[in-house]
Formats: sequence, structure tokens, C-alpha cells
Amino acid sequence: MAAPARAPHRPWRTAWITPRGELLSPPRLTATALRLTVQVFLVVFLWRGLYAQTDGAVAGLDREQAVAYAVLAVLALRIRELDRHSGRDTVQQHLHHGTIVYWFLRPVAPRRYHALRALGDQLYGFAWVVAGYLLCRSAGVLPPPASAEAGAAFLAGVVLGQLVLYRVMLLVDLLCFWTLRDGAALRIVQFAQNLLSGAFAPLWFFPGWFRTMSDFLPFQATLNTPLSLYIGRIPPSEAPHALLVQAVWAVGLAVLTRWLWHRAALRVVSQGG
Amino acid sequence: MATLAAGPDTAAEGIVARNLTRTFHTAVRRPGFAGALRSLVDPLRVEKTAVRDVSFSVERGRLLALLGPNGAGKSTTIKMLTGILTPTSGEARVAGVVPYRERERNARNIGAVFGQRTQLWWDLPARESFAVLRDVYGVPQAEHRARLAEFDSLLELSEFWDTRVRHLSLGQRVRCDLAAALLHDPPVVFLDEPTIGMDVVVKEQVRGFLRHQVERRGRTVLLTTHDMTEVARLAERVVLINHGRIVLDGSLEEIRGRFGGTWQVHATLDPAELEGAPPPGIRVVRREGPRVVFGPDGSGGPGGSGGAAPPTVHRALRAIVERYRVTDLALEENDLEDVMRAAYLRREERPVRDAAEDGAVADGAAADGAAGDGAAPAAGRSA
Amino acid sequence: MSLAVDPTAAGRLRRWARAWCVAWRITRLNFRAQLEYRAEFLMSVGMGVAWQSSVIVFATVLLQRFPGMGGWSGADVLLIVGMRMLAHALYVLLFGRVHSLSFLVQEGRLDACLLRPMPVYRQIQLSVFPTHGLGDLAVGATMFAFAVQQAAEPWTAGRAVFLAAGVAGGMLVEAAVFTAVSCAALRFPSAFYWSTWVDELMATFGSYPLSILPKAVSGVFTFVLPLAFVAYLPAGVLTGHGAALGVPFWLAAASPAVGLALFVAARLLWNRSLRHYTGVNG
Repeated sequence: MAAPARAPHRPWRTAWITPRGELLSPPRLTATALRLTVQVFLVVFLWRGLYAQTDGAVAGLDREQAVAYAVLAVLALRIRELDRHSGRDTVQQHLHHGTIVYWFLRPVAPRRYHALRALGDQLYGFAWVVAGYLLCRSAGVLPPPASAEAGAAFLAGVVLGQLVLYRVMLLVDLLCFWTLRDGAALRIVQFAQNLLSGAFAPLWFFPGWFRTMSDFLPFQATLNTPLSLYIGRIPPSEAPHALLVQAVWAVGLAVLTRWLWHRAALRVVSQGG
Repeated sequence: MATLAAGPDTAAEGIVARNLTRTFHTAVRRPGFAGALRSLVDPLRVEKTAVRDVSFSVERGRLLALLGPNGAGKSTTIKMLTGILTPTSGEARVAGVVPYRERERNARNIGAVFGQRTQLWWDLPARESFAVLRDVYGVPQAEHRARLAEFDSLLELSEFWDTRVRHLSLGQRVRCDLAAALLHDPPVVFLDEPTIGMDVVVKEQVRGFLRHQVERRGRTVLLTTHDMTEVARLAERVVLINHGRIVLDGSLEEIRGRFGGTWQVHATLDPAELEGAPPPGIRVVRREGPRVVFGPDGSGGPGGSGGAAPPTVHRALRAIVERYRVTDLALEENDLEDVMRAAYLRREERPVRDAAEDGAVADGAAADGAAGDGAAPAAGRSA
Repeated sequence: MSLAVDPTAAGRLRRWARAWCVAWRITRLNFRAQLEYRAEFLMSVGMGVAWQSSVIVFATVLLQRFPGMGGWSGADVLLIVGMRMLAHALYVLLFGRVHSLSFLVQEGRLDACLLRPMPVYRQIQLSVFPTHGLGDLAVGATMFAFAVQQAAEPWTAGRAVFLAAGVAGGMLVEAAVFTAVSCAALRFPSAFYWSTWVDELMATFGSYPLSILPKAVSGVFTFVLPLAFVAYLPAGVLTGHGAALGVPFWLAAASPAVGLALFVAARLLWNRSLRHYTGVNG
């Protein structure tokens, strides 16, 4: 009993949980591949169709740039859309079913566990993105990055964007500790995330006041910044500034979510999960 | 605190609860539609004490059943002992650790199963969930394999542990959950209604497993259940809690003595014996020729409020056999469920101060069990 | 049960009225239940307002940036958007619960529905009050009113009736699609994934003139996933694009009837699927 000789504690292996569950169910993999393919082709048709009536650039984006932006957005959304719901493994569901208590009964802080799981999910989603990217490149629907510098800035922007995205989604998860009933609020936040990050349409198309507003919100840092770097809509000379803004959001949200985790844990401790 | 430190080692390494109290603040809604709207902006808050002044202890390597009706405060007590909930006042120590102060250290010492809530990952086969927990707790591979083999031999897990959890039946899943909770070899285990909804065969298997864990592995187990057969099979000691307070802390025998004094002994006596008065505390209920039915004496109905408490069925049996020459004997004891019903339904007729004061002293001060009415024997009695 | 049933028309009418009365009472209770969760309710309402403005921004952005989309004027496209959004809001309020049927199944709540003396489909719709649907309705109605006001041609009585029928038909098409998808939820928990995808497709492609897409794609959106009937076809009839919709004019004009037919078919399919429902294990 209570053997002192413990094996190395390897909580990072929890990152593997969602990908493992996915790999164990081939129908889900097929579904993902199908949905991704169809979605990519549809947005390509849609944007080509929209551009068919215009000649030249719209809001500083030409046809190829707009299509590339939209395709990359479809791929990037894939990172986030792992189906944790059907595995009853979202924070909201854990709160609903009361299984969140187990998070607080393990020798890994819930905050860390949540981050590790998200890391695993994002890496798995990233594998899909890379595969999708290569396919789209070879199918000719996606041009290469605007320049080598743009490519490098894009990669940095993707990493920072994912950090911001994780924390935005975490914010929503943490919100569940206070309002856990109907998922309506969560859906709306998700919708706002889609709209304000540029997932529906490039932010460049929106009126000035809208873009000013989104400058003060974290959402554009998740998607619009890296994609604009890729297509060259943000020139490499402005990249440092754009990346800095992302980094500021990443740090600011880290502080905020950390504090909220603390409050959430207190809430569990005072209400018993 | 001095009391905590002074307690015998075995109790300190098990579970000690001292004067645990937990108060919740909840918003209540006002009646009517307008009330609901008004509560939106101006919620009405009320205070509710879920657990009041609860003290008991469990020695290392013992199993204690925490009993009580729904909403009595059992789950709140367990949550405080597992470190999920901080008590409003009072203190707890589990395997030498204050659970709510050192949550992660405590987590290594305890395993827990909360009823039908599973900690397994829905989309993974159970065995892969075990592997994840192995990594989370840092259990060496050889140890992990050996323990899985042990659990498999007791719970027959290998028949289904490669199935994804979402496809397991309830009984299979809870067995996997039990295994998951014990994989890191925790000295203390909390089980909140683990066998709820299981069929009899699985229940029996789980009981065997728990007995094995307590007797062979020396784990300390705190169990809540509504299944009285389970209590009878597993628990040598029970703590009865109602309305957030401890009503009784003692052996099953004592519970029967206090709340279920309606046993009957059917005896066929030697005809020569029929005239003698029955032993004290025992009366003759019925007599048909040589066949006599004895029961506890009058005032000692359920709970025995006046005079000495009626003897327990075993004492009575001994007294009857000593007094008479008995040719045939049959025992009709109250069903434990009847006993519990009597115990649950009885309002707190007087505060059980003794238990609160001596609760943490893990010695048999009042271990005699002949405690006067109303006074629960002290906790931690070694049976 | 059928012993006491009054077969006359009056009896049927009385039962019908009572059923609606019960449904209304449950809805009121459900709404009260939503009020219980204070923060959630206030947030839903607050977010609804934010959402409202953002949807309208999104719709107008594309119209401004891409005038003359597929030969449609901005006002014409706006009518598609307005009709679709209003139809969608009505769908969410009246039929939207089928979308989350897989959760009811998983939590075993459908089994409970099977035990009660009320049609299961109706019980599902009454399982929770769709608070967010109120937000949808506010957005949809605003957008619709704006689009109707912007329309080039005047609204004669006949056109107004067709417009209303078009919105109702659109609602029924959407209800039919999700009802059909939810049949799968009676068996496969993963159906939610597909339902979400369909939702996304309808939201993305339901608001454009499908004529900007290649023929094959718009054909899929007409005959496989019939989102063309939600708003594109009826709006096309109303805005004089009848000749270039990609389907015969009579079919576009029959959109409301198509909606009704699809819904009836979906409900029949659903009832059939329910008969084959085997419950969740454990």
C-alpha cells in the first residue's frame, strides 16, 4: 500500500484521448473526410460564383486570394470541430452529468487536464489540416503563400492564433461553471467567433466600423490574422505588428482564464460540483 | 486539532471527520409568473445546512457504511472528505491529509465512485481508460498489469474491457469504474451508492470485490448505499445520518437494538418450564401449549424510550436459552429494511451529543454497546 | 383508450382543442423553467441582441461588396435572406427540438416519452423552451420586414399571400429535412454530427441565389438537400427570376406545396423509424 516507488507521472498522455476515440471509429473518419471535401468544394464554387460578376479585387482581395482565404478557413475550422459532444466529454456535459467531480479528484489540476486535452485535439485536427492543405494545393484550389516571408509569418500566426482560439473556447467552457443549462449562449458565442474571426467571410469585406470593433476583440486574432498573412493581404512588413497583437491577446486571455479557473474551482468547492 | 493529532495512528491513516458542518446558500424562486420574473433581477437567497456537526472516524482497513434517507447529507459528507467541497466549519483528515486543503495530495490517496457517474471516457474501450489513468497517477507498468489481473479475476472485466464504454451495460460500466478508482492503489476509497441499479449477480460480485479490498488489501472504505442486504453483508459498522446530523454510530446490532426492537423468538419449551417469568427486558407475546413466542418488553417498542433498552436479539436468545430448557428454537428478526425505516422516520428526538463529543476518539469508551437510550456509542469502536 | 373516444366531428374538435391547450400549458411551464436559470436567460437575451446585429451586418456586407450576384439585384437577394431567416426562426420555435433528438435518446428521455399518452413527436417539441429561438425570430422578422420594404415590385394581395405561403413552406422544408435526419438519431448517436452539418449547409448556402453555383451543385441543393425550396425558389418567383431558376417555373411556384409534401413525408418516415426504435442499452 502507498508504494513510494511511483512511475513517472505522465498526464500528457491524456492528450491522446480524443484522437484515440476518433481513430477507433472509422465511420467518423470517413464522415470527417467527406464533410471536409464537400465543404472545400462548396466554398470554392461559392466564392468563384460571387466573383464571377465583378472584375478585379474586392476590398483589396482578388478572386484567388478570396478563395484561398475561404478554403483555409474551412480547413482551420476543422481543428476545432472535434466531436467531443457525442463522447459526452465537453465541460458542459461533465457539469450537466456531474462527472466534473472526477476532474477534481485526480492528481492533475483540472486546468492542466483541460489544456492537455485541447492540445491533443488541436494536434489531431492539425493533421487533418495538413492533409487537406496538401490535397487542396495539388488540386489547384489553393495557391502557395504570397511569399516566403508571408509563409513564415503565417506559421507563426497560426500558432499564436491557436493559442488565442484555445483560450476563447476555454472561456466559453469556463462560463459553463456559472450558466450550465441550455447551450444557447454557447452556440451564440460560437457564432460570434465564426463571424468575427472571418470564418464566414473575410473580415476585409466588412465595413470599417465593424473591423474597428473586431480590432478590440480577440476573435480576429484566431483566424483572420494568419489567413491574411498567408494570402498577403497583410504584407510581411506589417506582420510583426499583427503577430504582436495576437501575442497580447494570448497572454491577456491566459491571465483571465487562469483567474476564472481559480473562481470555477472555488465554485465547485463551495457547491460540490 | 489536538484531538486529531492525538488519535491512534490507525484512525489518522483512515478517515477522521470532526464537527463537519456545511451550509449552502441557494436562490429560491418566488411563486407565480411575476415572481419568477422578479427573481430574475432580485433572487431570494436562503441558507440551508446540509450537514451539521458530523463527527466520526474509520480506522485503516475497515469498511464503514454511511446510511441515511435521500437528502440526509451523505453525499455532502463524502464530498467534503474527498476534497471537492470545503466544509463551512469543522475539519477532516483522510489518510493524514486535510482533503480540501491539499486536494492533489489527497487525490493520490483516495479512489472514488459516485453512483452511476462514470469517470471513464465514453469513446474509448475501458482498458484504454485504465491506461490513461495509469499515466495520470504514474503507476508503474508491472504494477498496473498485476492489479488489472487481480481486478479481472474478481470482477471478470476482461470479457468486456475492450468494448467502448458507451456500449457497456450499467453493471459492466460500474465494475469498470470500480477498477478505475482503485487502479492507483489508494488506501482510502469512497463509494457513493456504487451498486445502484445493478442486478443481484453483479451486486454480489461487487460485494465480494469490496470485501477483498478491505480484508486482503487493507483499504479503508466509506460506502453509502440504500441496499440493506449490502449493509448486512459488508458493514460491521454503520453511521446513520439524518437531517444532516449523525443519529447513530455503531454496529448493525446496535441499530437493531435501538430501532428494530421487534424481534421475535419462537421457542418450544420443556413443559415443566412454562411457569417461570421471562428474563428482564423480554416478554411473552403468545403462548400455545409448549410453543412460546418471546418479544422485547413493552416499553421497548422501536427505539425503546423508557427504562433500559430491550436486549438485542442475540442477548435475548442467550438469556432464553440460559433460563429455559428449550427443545426447538426459531428466530424471527425484523428485516433490516424495517429497522432502517423506523430509524429514518424517527425525528431527531434528542441531539446525540455524545457522538459529537467523543466521535474522534477512536477508542471504545462506550464500546459496551449497552449504552443508555439516546446515547450513541462512540465512534471508532473496534469490533 | 379508443373506447371512450367520441367519433363525431365535435368530439374531434374538442380533443384537438384540448391537445393544443395542453401543449400551450407545457410551453408556458418550459418558459418559466428557462427563467429559473437567471444568468443563462439574461445572457441568452443579451447575446441574441448582439447576434441580431451581426447577422444583418453579414448579410448586407456581401450584398454591398458583390452587387448583381448571379444577375440578382441587392433587393432581390435580400428577399431570399429575409425569407430564409424568418422561415428558419419559425422552424426553430415550432420544430427545432428534432435537431437535438440524439441527446434525448442518449439520456433515455425518449423512452419516457414513449410511455406518455401524447404523440412522441409533439413531446419532443415540448421538451424544452427554445429561448434562443426568440432571438432568431427577432432577427428574422427584422430582416424580413426590411427585405419586404425594399422590394422593387409592389405587394399585391396575391403576391403577399404567396410570400406568406413561401415562408410557411420554407419552415416546413427545414422541418422536413431535420425531421428526416433525426430519424437516424433514433439509432445512431452520431446523427447529431450530420444534423449540425446540414444546419451549417443550409445557413451558408440558403441565402444566395443558387444560380451562382455550377448546375450540378445547385441541382444537389434542389433535389438532394432541398434548401432551394426554403427561400431561393419562392423569392425567385416573387422577384421575376422565374425563367432562370434552374427548375421549371411551375415547380418553383409550387414551393409551398413542396414544403408541405416534404414535411408529411418526413413525418411518415419518422413514425416508421420510431416503430423500429429499440432503445438505448444499459
